[in-house]
Amino acid sequence: MNIHIFQGFGQTMGEVAIALLPLIILFAIFQLFFLKLSLRKLLDIAIGILLTFLGLSFFLQGVHIGFLPIGEQIGKSLGAINYTWILIPIGFVLGFFATYAEPAVRVLIQQVERASSGYIPEKVLLYTVSIGVGLSVALSMIRILAGFSIWFFILPGYILALIMVKYSSKTFTSIAFDSGGVATGPMTATFILAMFVGIASVTEGRDPLLDGFGMVALVALAPILSVLTLGILYSRKEKELYVHKETETETDSYDR
Amino acid sequence: MDNIKETIIEVVQSILPITIVITILQFSLIWLPTETFIQFLIGVLMVGIGLILFLLGVNIGMLPIGEMIGSALSKTKIIWLIVFFGFLLGAVVTIAEPDVRVLSTQVDQVSNGEISKTILILAVAIGVGIFVALSLMRIIFSIPITYILAGGYGMIFVLAAFTPSTFVPISFDAGGVTTGPLTVPFIMALGVGVASVLRGKSASQDGFGLIALASLGPILSVLILGVIYG
Repeated sequence: MNIHIFQGFGQTMGEVAIALLPLIILFAIFQLFFLKLSLRKLLDIAIGILLTFLGLSFFLQGVHIGFLPIGEQIGKSLGAINYTWILIPIGFVLGFFATYAEPAVRVLIQQVERASSGYIPEKVLLYTVSIGVGLSVALSMIRILAGFSIWFFILPGYILALIMVKYSSKTFTSIAFDSGGVATGPMTATFILAMFVGIASVTEGRDPLLDGFGMVALVALAPILSVLTLGILYSRKEKELYVHKETETETDSYDR
Repeated sequence: MDNIKETIIEVVQSILPITIVITILQFSLIWLPTETFIQFLIGVLMVGIGLILFLLGVNIGMLPIGEMIGSALSKTKIIWLIVFFGFLLGAVVTIAEPDVRVLSTQVDQVSNGEISKTILILAVAIGVGIFVALSLMRIIFSIPITYILAGGYGMIFVLAAFTPSTFVPISFDAGGVTTGPLTVPFIMALGVGVASVLRGKSASQDGFGLIALASLGPILSVLILGVIYG
């Protein structure tokens, strides 16, 4: 058996310690000059920091021995398959399910439901975002296979988003752009990204550095466009209500 | 206790689907050596345990730190102090962000160390820091978010013309990964704290938008890094 579980674990822990150190120093400065917390509260925070340290170490170690190598190998074997078109549906399935289950997406959905006072039901947004991310990953597969530049997707995507902002309400604009990150959770950044690098490294004429990366960017666009679309639908509905009221009362307080 | 149970459910929910898809792929298309697959399963377990501990730690330790620093800062009412520490906090949190580490590791490996992990993490951290500072200024001076978004994306397109093409995908990915499980709640807590104390207005409207701007920063800073490299 040739299994490495704790290889380099000490190094990972050292790295995590260095990563957390600046935050701890900053907190210590605030504690001395502003906060002056009691010993009990300090103890709570120390436990929190310790848990963060252990958690981060285990997470990174698991990613190093598990998700990264298998992602790359799966990418390499899939990229070498004769019927590479199968990568496109696989990309869709991965993106869809990763998002459908992502806790951060649930938080976004509740926000939107509240902002639209229930007009946009939770399920609608959940499916819109999940399908959007699925399409993004599928498009990224097409990008690798066909060798498109990332601009072909990013530029129209953001231009579309900026145009849609004009027709969407302010609240929805903020939620939309904040939600860009909800789908790019730890699973996307680890497994799916590693898989893309693997695929790019075995596909002829592709540079893993140039073509392997860029998938996260497309995944971040999907929720933005989804929320903006729903935001426009909602503001239309609101406008209708406005127009109705207007014709009834014949005032013109119309500024949306 | 409820908190722990909720966190466990959350983590399992976010890891399980991908693991199932990988398992299906393994036994239908891929057939990697059993050892590799077992090592992967152990890795999944470690990622799961790690994420649970990490999220609990964020809740017990990191978030209270963010909230307390946010409100302590706002109470001073000294604008430059708030903006300066906003920058530091944004940068410091990003250095500890797991997603950013994973992306940088991969970039480091794929580029054979040419774009080193440390430099990339620092660039991303500075980018986030600057934009957290900017968004705090936005809250203080009520600048519409669309101006900063349009200006930021405009600058991205200009910079991209001068940077080596390999840096473009990496920079956009860096923008995506900064919004990870540590940065988002931490920066939200900070922004909401500052907004509610400083102007006593509805925190929700101004707290939003922070994450959007925070993910603009790294795109710009990594593009600039590319210009320097090129």
